[in-house]
Amino acid sequence: MTAPLLDDLDRQLIDILSKDARISNRKIATDLGVTEGTVRGRIKRLQQDKLIAFTAITSLGLENASKMAFIGVQADLDNVRDIARQIADLPLVNAVMVTMGRFNILAFCLFTELDKLLEVASDQILAVPGVHHVETSIAVKTVKYNPRIVRITEADHSNENAD
Amino acid sequence: MAEDFVVDDIDRSIVGELRRNGRATNQQIADTLKLTAATVSARIRRLEDANKLRVVAVADFSAHGYNVLMEVAIEVDGRPASEVAAELAAFPEVFAAHLVTGRYDIDMLVALHDFDELPDLMLNKLAKVRGVRSMMPAIVVDVVKYKFDIAPIEERSPL
Repeated sequence: MTAPLLDDLDRQLIDILSKDARISNRKIATDLGVTEGTVRGRIKRLQQDKLIAFTAITSLGLENASKMAFIGVQADLDNVRDIARQIADLPLVNAVMVTMGRFNILAFCLFTELDKLLEVASDQILAVPGVHHVETSIAVKTVKYNPRIVRITEADHSNENAD
Repeated sequence: MAEDFVVDDIDRSIVGELRRNGRATNQQIADTLKLTAATVSARIRRLEDANKLRVVAVADFSAHGYNVLMEVAIEVDGRPASEVAAELAAFPEVFAAHLVTGRYDIDMLVALHDFDELPDLMLNKLAKVRGVRSMMPAIVVDVVKYKFDIAPIEERSPL
C-alpha cells in the first residue's frame, strides 16, 4: 500500500470533520483561512480517493444491535477470500477480515440475544463450504474504540451505496 | 445508560438520511422527509446530546498512514483484566480494546505505520504491561467488510 499524500490542510480538514461533519464549508474556510472553493475541492478529492467518508454513527443499543462478538473462523486457505465474502454477506456481520494467525477469518457480529449470535456463528458461518471451525468471543466491555478510523471498502461506502 | 431513551420512526428516518449523506443540511433533510428544519435540527441535537448519534467524517487507516493492521488477543494472569485493558488502551497504536469471554481475556485491534514498529510495540510496550501473560497476534491481510456506522460512542469531549 502506498502512503497517500496528505498535506497539513487535508489533515486539518479531517480533524475538523471527524468531530462534526455538519459544519459548513464556509465556517471551515473561515477557521482555516482558505476559500470555500478550496474546502469543497479538498473534501471532494478526499472522498473520491476513499480516504474519508461521511456517515451517521449510532450507538450500540439504539438499533437492533446492542452487543458485539468476535467470531474467529478457520477455513480453507485456498479460497479464504471467497469464504470471507460469503460471511460478509450475512446481515448481522458488520466487519470481516482475512487474518494470518490463530484464525484465517475474523468476523465481527452485532446481536441482541445470544441465540442470534449462535445462529450466525454455528448455523450460518459454520455452514459455509470450506469453514471448519468457529469460535465466538463476546465483547463484554469496550475499553477503547475509535469509530473514526476505519477501512473504507467499496462495499461499505455508505454514501454511494444508498438507495 | 438511560434505557428509557425512546427513538421513534422520525429519528430513524433522519438517521437514515444522515447515513446516506452526513453533510446534508437540515433543510435538505426536512424537504426529503416533509418535516421542518427546526424539527430535524432538534431531533439531531437530542440524539447527539444523549450520545446516541455522531455525524462525522471517518477516515481510512491509510489516511492516517497506518499500513499494518493486527488483531492481538491477550491472556491475563494475576491482575484484573479490566486494569490490564485500561493500561493497554493507553498506547496510541491500540485503537480498539475489548474485554471478551473465551480463551483470551482482552481482544485488541492494533494499527502500525510500518512493520518496523512491531518489535518495539510487542516487546517493549505490550509485553511490559503487568498482568499480560501471553499475546496471540494475527496479521490482517485483507479487510473484506468494515461497516462503521454502529459503534460504541464516547461522551462528547471538548478535544
